[in-house]
Amino acid sequence: MNAIARVRAAVAFGETDRTPVIPQIFAHAAVLCGVPVGDYAHDGALLARCQMAAARHYGHDAVFAFMDAGVEAEAVGSVLRYHSAQYATVASYALAPDDAIDGLAVPDPHVAGRMPELLRAVTALRAGIGDELPVVAVVLGPMSLAQQLMGAEAALYLAADEPQRFEELLGFTTRVGLRHGQALLAAGAHVALVFEPAGSPAVVPPAYFRELLLPRLGELFSAFRQAGALATWLHIAGPTAPILGNYPRAGADIANIDYEVDPLDAARILPRTCLDGNLRSLSFVLDSPDEIGVECRRLAALFEARGGFILSSGCEIPLEARPENVAAMVAAVQSDS
Amino acid sequence: MQRLIDSLIDGNRDAALTEARRLRAAGVPVERIVSEGLETAMEQVDAKCTVEAFNLLEIMLVGRAVTVVAGELYPRGAPPGRTRATVAIASPEGDVHDLGKNIVAMVLSGKGFRVVDLGRDCPLDTLLEGARREPVVAVLLSGLITTVIPQVRRVRPALAGRGLGSVKVVAGGAALRQASAEQLDVDYVAQTAFDGAHYLETLFPAVTS
Repeated sequence: MNAIARVRAAVAFGETDRTPVIPQIFAHAAVLCGVPVGDYAHDGALLARCQMAAARHYGHDAVFAFMDAGVEAEAVGSVLRYHSAQYATVASYALAPDDAIDGLAVPDPHVAGRMPELLRAVTALRAGIGDELPVVAVVLGPMSLAQQLMGAEAALYLAADEPQRFEELLGFTTRVGLRHGQALLAAGAHVALVFEPAGSPAVVPPAYFRELLLPRLGELFSAFRQAGALATWLHIAGPTAPILGNYPRAGADIANIDYEVDPLDAARILPRTCLDGNLRSLSFVLDSPDEIGVECRRLAALFEARGGFILSSGCEIPLEARPENVAAMVAAVQSDS
Repeated sequence: MQRLIDSLIDGNRDAALTEARRLRAAGVPVERIVSEGLETAMEQVDAKCTVEAFNLLEIMLVGRAVTVVAGELYPRGAPPGRTRATVAIASPEGDVHDLGKNIVAMVLSGKGFRVVDLGRDCPLDTLLEGARREPVVAVLLSGLITTVIPQVRRVRPALAGRGLGSVKVVAGGAALRQASAEQLDVDYVAQTAFDGAHYLETLFPAVTS
């Protein structure tokens, strides 16, 4: 059973030869390869080489086409500052609080900013691994992109003070994500992941998620499925238990759960949705391989009878994670196969 | 007073400001509006915001309303006798996120602390200089990314090296709150803004005069 078949079976609650394991390795792949994060985030071919090298090194079940959370915002007009040892940050926002939202243009993924490099990364990943491992394309969610375009504080105040303008902004950011995701799938990505940290109940009340975000996530996932995605994946970190029950309405095949969510609660709330999680990200920096192994085996055993589970970190594997900890995660399920 | 409290809890800054002005025009002393209005509202929000039911947006709106009313009542800042203690807050060098930091600052201000905001991406030397200059009773560090952990671990020894060993160090934020106080070499790891405020309130009780 190859990784694509394994993930496909997990999503369908079918039989797998072992628990699929997908640590969320983004630019940790660059650090592992000794490549500056800023270079990794500018060069699609380099990103693909690092992702494939990490997959060979650890033996996990997917690679990710993701540079940083600023790709879409930069393509729209935010200015980023790049760093060698961490992700790019926004130096100036595309949108001032009083700017007209209809003045923004949806960027063309084939020409705008680093989007074409990300498409090259997907092409190179598919050329390198074919249909052995899923290539997961990461698209920033509508609310998170709104924050990248005008700043987190300004976007949240806009949501509260001028809900109609905020909805207009969410409409725009949804169109950006839609076009970006469709282009990544057309370039060969197997899976579309929507990364929406700003939709967490730690950031906005669950009613905001339900009323403002859910319909737009539904739009994205529906379009990605029509564009041929093997699976859709919703990634929201933090204490998401109050909103998990909405995920099937959004059309998410895979639901990420962070360390703050009890996996059995999540399984009860989402009986027919594949879950991924939920090791504490910081454990990969601070804990030992033995501790990681124990936790991974515990999680795999919890879901053995149910199925519909991908062993994963609750959020991204930190850049500075100890490689032996990531290796311990993968070894925990491989040794049980 | 209840209308002021309700407006503050709703995060409705315009209504809260109108109500505060009405109370002042009716001759209600500033001190009473603060203790029975602003502080009561903060206490009620505090009680509502458990770790499971805490979101940044609602706290931001309450904090903004409290800040606007406090600015109306104390246009030149709160008099020294009204503050519990002075604390410094920063996002450590390497972390440019400041939403969490700003929210903690608002919560602490609402609870009567004087907060010195040393900004985001704050170098250790700036933090130390700020702690010495004020002087502060606690340094608060807000971190959204794990890569700042080495910076956080350096703070307490550096304070001690400058004779500021009694200054408490509190960490919080999405990344730092995953670690223990021992792992970060700090006095306390706050799970939420209010959790951190509780820790400081225990150490530095309210001014009763």
